[in-house]
Amino acid sequence: MRTLDWIFLVASLVFIVLYGVLKGRGSRDIRGFLLADRSMKWYTVALSIMATQASAITFLSGPGQAYVDGMRFVQFYFGLPIAMIILSVTAVPIYHKLNVYTAYEYLENRFDINIRLLASFLFLIQRGLAAGLTIYAPSIILSVILGWNIYWTNLIVGLLVITYTASGGTRAVGETHFYQMLIIMCGMIGAFIVAIQLLPDDISLLDATYITGKLGRLNTIDLRFDLDNRYNIWSGIIGGLFLQLSYFGTDQSQVQRYLSGSSVTQSRMGLIFNGFVKIPMQFFILFIGVVVFAFYQFQLPPLFFNPVASGAVKESSMADAYQVLENKQHEIHTQKQQAIRAYLEARDTGDPQLITEKGSELITTHQKYVDVRNNAKAMIKANNPDADTSDTNYIFLTFVVQFLPVGLVGLVIAAIIAASMSSTAGELNALASTTVVDFYKRVFAKRPDDRKEVLFSKLSTVAWGIYAIVLAEYASRLGSLIEAVNILGSLFYGTILGIFLAAFYIKRVQGRAVFFAAIFAEIAVIAVFIFTDISFLWYNVVGCVGILLLAPVFELVTKKYSKSGA
Amino acid sequence: MKDISENNRPPVFKSWLTWYILLVGTLAALILLFYLFMKTFN
Repeated sequence: MRTLDWIFLVASLVFIVLYGVLKGRGSRDIRGFLLADRSMKWYTVALSIMATQASAITFLSGPGQAYVDGMRFVQFYFGLPIAMIILSVTAVPIYHKLNVYTAYEYLENRFDINIRLLASFLFLIQRGLAAGLTIYAPSIILSVILGWNIYWTNLIVGLLVITYTASGGTRAVGETHFYQMLIIMCGMIGAFIVAIQLLPDDISLLDATYITGKLGRLNTIDLRFDLDNRYNIWSGIIGGLFLQLSYFGTDQSQVQRYLSGSSVTQSRMGLIFNGFVKIPMQFFILFIGVVVFAFYQFQLPPLFFNPVASGAVKESSMADAYQVLENKQHEIHTQKQQAIRAYLEARDTGDPQLITEKGSELITTHQKYVDVRNNAKAMIKANNPDADTSDTNYIFLTFVVQFLPVGLVGLVIAAIIAASMSSTAGELNALASTTVVDFYKRVFAKRPDDRKEVLFSKLSTVAWGIYAIVLAEYASRLGSLIEAVNILGSLFYGTILGIFLAAFYIKRVQGRAVFFAAIFAEIAVIAVFIFTDISFLWYNVVGCVGILLLAPVFELVTKKYSKSGA
Repeated sequence: MKDISENNRPPVFKSWLTWYILLVGTLAALILLFYLFMKTFN
C-alpha cells in the first residue's frame, strides 16, 4: 500500500467514526439509544439491513468463490425475497403493534418468560461468537496478504466500532451503515471496471464471458433436486427461505434494524427494498470474481493464493517438487491461452462442429491446470496436515493488491474494513439490546430509570465489544472455530424460527407444548447433523417444521393430561 | 393486508399486495434471466 492508499483508508475510517459519534448524540432514554426513537426512513432501514448482513467475508470470499466454484452460490439467496414478504405481512405489524424492543419480548407476550429467556440466551451465545469472528475473519486475510499484524488489526477495527456504537447506539449504527455501503459499492464497482480494463486488448467483456461460461463459471442455476448438493435452486428457495426467515425474523441484529423504522410502512419498505436489491448485488459480487478469473486466464496466477501456505512448502524439503509443479503450471497456462484464442476464432466462424471441438480442447487443457493445482494442494497438506487447502478468501485481495491502481487499493481495503465494521456494529448493538431489555430490565432492574438504562446499554455495548476483540485475538488458536460456529448457527436457527412461527400462526398452542416441541425438534436436527450428509441449509427446515408439527400434538397431550389430572 | 391506516399505507401502489406480487415477479424474472444467461454463455 502506498501513501494515497493510506490516505483513502484512514480518511474513510475516521469519517465513519466521527459521523457515527456526531449523528448518535443526544439519546436520553433506551428508546432513543436502542430504537433511534423509531425515526428511521425506509432507505436508512434498507441499507442498514443490507450492511449488517454483508460482512467483509461477503466481499472477500464472494469473488473468490466464483473464481473457484462458479456463480452457483447466488442461488443461496433465492428464498430471501419471499422471506421479506412473509415478514412484512406478519412480524413487522406485530412487533410495531406491541412496541417491543427485541424480538424475544414478543415471545413472553405470546407464551411465557421461559421461552423468551431461552430464545434470547441462544441468540447471545450464537451472536456473541459470531461477532468475534466478524472481526477476525477479514483480519487474518489482510494480515496474510498485506503483512499487517493481526492483533493490532483486530484491536483497531474493534475499538473503532465500539467508539461510535457505544456512544450513539442504533442511530449511529444506522446512519453510518449508509456511508459504509457507499464506500463498499464504490470500491467494488471500481475493482470491477479496472478488472475489465486489464483484460488483453483483443479480448472483450463478451469474449471473457464466453470463455468463463465454457469453463463452467456461469453455473447460476442448477435445477437438479439433490439434498447433498449445497447450492441448487431448491435448497436456495426452500432451505434458503427458512434460513432467511429465521435470520431476519428472529435474529435481533436484523430485527433491531427494521424496528427503528418510523412506521410499519418504513419498516416494510426497508425489507422489500432489500428483497429487490440483494440478489442482483450478490450476482454482481460473484461476477467480479468471474472477470478476475477471465483476467487470470491471460496473466499467470499464483499456483496457490495463500502465500503463507505456499511459502511454507517452498521452504520445506518439498521445495523442488513444488517448483516442478509451478513450471508445469506455466507450461499449461501458455497452452490454455492458445486453446482460448482457438475457441474464440472457432466461435467467429459459426461452425458448430468446430466450436464443439475447440471448446472440448479448452476444457481438457483447463482440467490439466486444475489437476496441477490439486497436486499443489495435496503437497501443502502433506507438508502441514493442519494447513487449510482452500485459498478462496485470498484470491480477490491478491488481485486487488497486485493489479489495481494506487488509490483504488486503499478504497477497496477501506470497503472491506467498512463491511467488517458495519456487521460488527449491528451485532454489538443487538447484543447490548438483548442484554439490557431481556435480562437487565426484565429480570434484575427493580424500577425504570432512563439514565441508568442508557448507561447500562453503553457499558453493555463496550463489554460485548471487548469480548468480541478478545475472541478475535484467540480465534487463530482455536482451529476450525469458524466452521464450528457456522454449524452451531444452522443447528439452532430452524428451532428458533419454529418457536416464532408457532407463536405467529398456531393460535391454540401454549408455552409448555412449544417448549417440549423445541426440545424434540432440536434432537431431530442434531440427529440429522450426526447421522446424515444432508446440506446444512436443510437443518433449518427440519427444526422449524418439527416444531410446527409437534407443538399441536404436545398441546393436545398436555391438555388431556391436565384434564385427567383434574 | 386489509388494514391500511396512515401508519401502514403503502407508497406508490394502493395495496401492499401489489408490492408483494412485484417482488415475487422480480424474483421469477431474475431466475429466468440467470437461466438464460447460463444457457447462452455455456
